[in-house]
Amino acid sequence: MTELERALIVLGREVDFPVEPDLRSRVRKRIIERNRRVLRVVVVAVALIVVAFGIALAVPDARSSILRFFHIGSATVERVHTLPPARERPLAAGLGPVRSRHDAEARSGIPLVLSGVTPTRYYAQPGLIATLLEYRGKPVLLAEMGGDQAGITKKFVTPETRVEPAGIGSNSLWIEGGRHVLIWQAGLATFQRVTRLAGNVLLWVEGDRTFRLEGDLTKGQMLKLARDITR
Amino acid sequence: MVGRPLDESDLIGRAQRGDTHAYEELVTAYQGIAFRTAYVIARNAADAEEAAQDGFVKAWRALGRFRPGAPFRPWLLQIVANEARNRRRSAGRREHLAVRAATEEPSGGAAPSPEAALLTAETREALLAAVNELPDDQREVISLRYFLGLSEQEVAQALDLPEGTVKSRTSRALERLRESYD
Repeated sequence: MTELERALIVLGREVDFPVEPDLRSRVRKRIIERNRRVLRVVVVAVALIVVAFGIALAVPDARSSILRFFHIGSATVERVHTLPPARERPLAAGLGPVRSRHDAEARSGIPLVLSGVTPTRYYAQPGLIATLLEYRGKPVLLAEMGGDQAGITKKFVTPETRVEPAGIGSNSLWIEGGRHVLIWQAGLATFQRVTRLAGNVLLWVEGDRTFRLEGDLTKGQMLKLARDITR
Repeated sequence: MVGRPLDESDLIGRAQRGDTHAYEELVTAYQGIAFRTAYVIARNAADAEEAAQDGFVKAWRALGRFRPGAPFRPWLLQIVANEARNRRRSAGRREHLAVRAATEEPSGGAAPSPEAALLTAETREALLAAVNELPDDQREVISLRYFLGLSEQEVAQALDLPEGTVKSRTSRALERLRESYD
């Protein structure tokens, strides 16, 4: 260590930093308020699901539609007989302009969880951050969403598409084959609704975050990539 | 500069299972370094306070992704630093670091420590002024590394930079500061 570096350390002890605030009680209050809010939402959601299933099971014609509905984190998957109109579009269609990582994190309010790779193209919408990766020579779209935004991404699949648990995170789905349609949407007016045909998709939830990977990869390849990303 | 609680991994484990009291202990242990890190980046006490508070709340929400056994401090500081950066972008008064008035003269006629004797009052002022004049990216690295006592690895994680970038920024900043110090 040079004399200058030692001098900087000594100087650091004499810097007049503002008095540090006592954050303990304020952080505690916000955490407890948030926990109560989440609990209220869960209680209401459970109550609604119970009512919906009660109605559905009482009406034979309604059974099939309710039982073909999956909800995972911020994503919704609906199995339908007829897909909504859609066309082939780039993976990042509907996610807005290319941004720097800092800008994307600032706009989305979500610090990106991503290990091992350093992509250059980032996208963001409030509550959602995305980036384009290259894996085994193929483009893959990674999107991460905050946990309290039901239906920010919605997917419609036909009976030909396989939808199965994927065994990653606290909850996960692997969607493969057939034709399936993706819709990005949110309650915020700034987030444009875009519909396009989608590739194979891995959806999973870790903590309060929903991850989504889309690309022309096998389930095994996608799971390996998912584990590398969140390592 | 900031001690780690002896049972930190236990506190983290309990907090991950939803124990808010355990998390409060972590907040108490790290609020000082979190606030100062935010202050170095945001250069405004009110912004730093908000950034530290929001950082702790976001870290609580993200605890499920924290890897057991990993160092908690740089993980937390990365979240706080990100919050502080977001606030720095907004317009507002930016403060300069200053030397504490009370330390300008040795108290009670006691002889200054050998370390403190390295710096005369004039040198302190000049060196700190030179730090304040550094570009933001260099000033942040120097402040976190030497004023707040973070390791090079911690600085890299807190600022979300490769370690090589931290090294080169530190080297460039020291080169500039040497002109004021020599």
